[in-house]
Amino acid sequence: MANLTTPSRRKFVKKSLAVSAGAVAFPQVLTRDARSSGGTAQDRKDYDVVEEVAKYRKIDAYCTANPDMELADKLGIGRMYVGNPMRWLDWTPDEFRQANDEMIDLMKKHPGRIIGQISVNPHFSRESLEEIDRCVDQGMVGSRLYYQAKINDPIYYPVIEKLADLNMIIFIHGEAQIGVGGYRMKYDVGRPATISVPEDFLEAAQRYPEAMFQFAHIGGGGDWEYMCKAFREQSNIFVDVGGSNNEEGMVEFAVHCLGEDRVLFGTDNSYYQGVGKVICADLSDRQKQKIFFDNYNALLKKGGYHVD
Amino acid sequence: MWIDINSYVGHWPYMELKYDTCKALLQRMDRFGVDRSVVTSLSGIHYKNTQSANRALYEEWRSENELKERLLPFAVINPTYAGWKYDLKQCLEEFGMRGIAVYPKYHDYSVEEEAMVELAEIAREYDVPVALTLRMVDHRARFWMDIEKEWTLADVMPVIRKVPDARYIIWNVANSTRLDEDDLALVKKSRVLMDTSGRATNNLSGLLDVFGPEKFAFGSHAPILDYATGRMRIEYLDRADSVKQKLRSENAVDMLNL
Repeated sequence: MANLTTPSRRKFVKKSLAVSAGAVAFPQVLTRDARSSGGTAQDRKDYDVVEEVAKYRKIDAYCTANPDMELADKLGIGRMYVGNPMRWLDWTPDEFRQANDEMIDLMKKHPGRIIGQISVNPHFSRESLEEIDRCVDQGMVGSRLYYQAKINDPIYYPVIEKLADLNMIIFIHGEAQIGVGGYRMKYDVGRPATISVPEDFLEAAQRYPEAMFQFAHIGGGGDWEYMCKAFREQSNIFVDVGGSNNEEGMVEFAVHCLGEDRVLFGTDNSYYQGVGKVICADLSDRQKQKIFFDNYNALLKKGGYHVD
Repeated sequence: MWIDINSYVGHWPYMELKYDTCKALLQRMDRFGVDRSVVTSLSGIHYKNTQSANRALYEEWRSENELKERLLPFAVINPTYAGWKYDLKQCLEEFGMRGIAVYPKYHDYSVEEEAMVELAEIAREYDVPVALTLRMVDHRARFWMDIEKEWTLADVMPVIRKVPDARYIIWNVANSTRLDEDDLALVKKSRVLMDTSGRATNNLSGLLDVFGPEKFAFGSHAPILDYATGRMRIEYLDRADSVKQKLRSENAVDMLNL
């Protein structure tokens, strides 16, 4: 069982007009006195967002190298699960080993704060399985998979089975049909056809009900309503709220569709958006704490990788 | 004191929005300690005749004293549509609206067009700001009928070049803020204010270094974006409280003549 380093939370200070002919006259400059004066803040609640953010313990279930450690400190993100940025189709074993070595180095640099996630290319099955073993020995937990193949492609089966045996969550980049990727996309944003879309996750999750899948970043630019609705009935698929899109209602909608246990806090390094969208959500403090920390920690606990 | 220079009420055709009325916005402001808020009608973006949306906002706004005291309505004006000058005059003089919001991409005209320039000149005469938004929603997650192209800061510069002595508010700075040397100098000396709702303001400290602390103010882009993120970018800033105070409200007070 690992120990979570308590983040060093700083204490912040709280806080000519020739308007069309006829009916229109020349403009009158609207002065301060001519307008309403507005209320004062004296009798309103003194809301302190820094205090609010500090209330919650946090694990970032989707962080990408290199994390902003200073901002993570400020926001009270105690631990980050980190992978290298996405690589493309022709990723060789030497290249993914090097990517994982970079994560191992990062873990050594920030012990207890950063846990690396394992990247492999399923087109190299033997090398991928060996690499998972090597990385687990180095303390890495879970996967960081991209789109060398769809998650339901049979070439992924050995990797899924290996990670399921380890009780590690299987994180893979996902996008939606109506969004940046998918077969119904009406515009080209340069994504390969091997991106996993929700239907691919469903097929893999149904084939491996004992495995835990993390559909990456519903705030990553895809249609989050589509994603959440797709996964409603598949209890072994989890979503994180990472990504730069911080649309209002996203987190509540995820909880509405998936329940309060299957939504995870994540940033994909959009730290303000990641925290802000949860803070603003119309949920109870307890539900927010589950999203920020407890839910992901419960998944880690299944393999004994959790924090106190 | 907090002033939000970028919020909306009304209907967005492609998804349900919470907190989409003036009263709901007010509740949101109370919940998060925001004193006053610029408010614009989302409906006006998709109406051909934007004045019906402006009038609806006006009727809702004037229905309660607290709404009148704390909300600062902006008029959605399409300067290529018949009667826009009449509408603008009515919004500013009769309805008491505090600024003008334009949506060239949604209303299908260029920011360099004569009509846009004329609108900026009229705004200058009224001494009210013109607001332009770099994007309404993340184009990647948009409905297929919504517009695809988002703007960068450079895309709004043509009108600022042509009417440099008007006032401008730039909403949802989600994309590049890179400008050439001449445009950067122009922005610095002009009355331009950008809000903190857009993702490109994550490095707000760096932007303050480039543009100066007078060029930014708190904005939420609510109810499309969450209500906390734009505020957090200010509160976690490694700057003196006097600088944060500019961003919380002082720059907005100056821009809005409050």
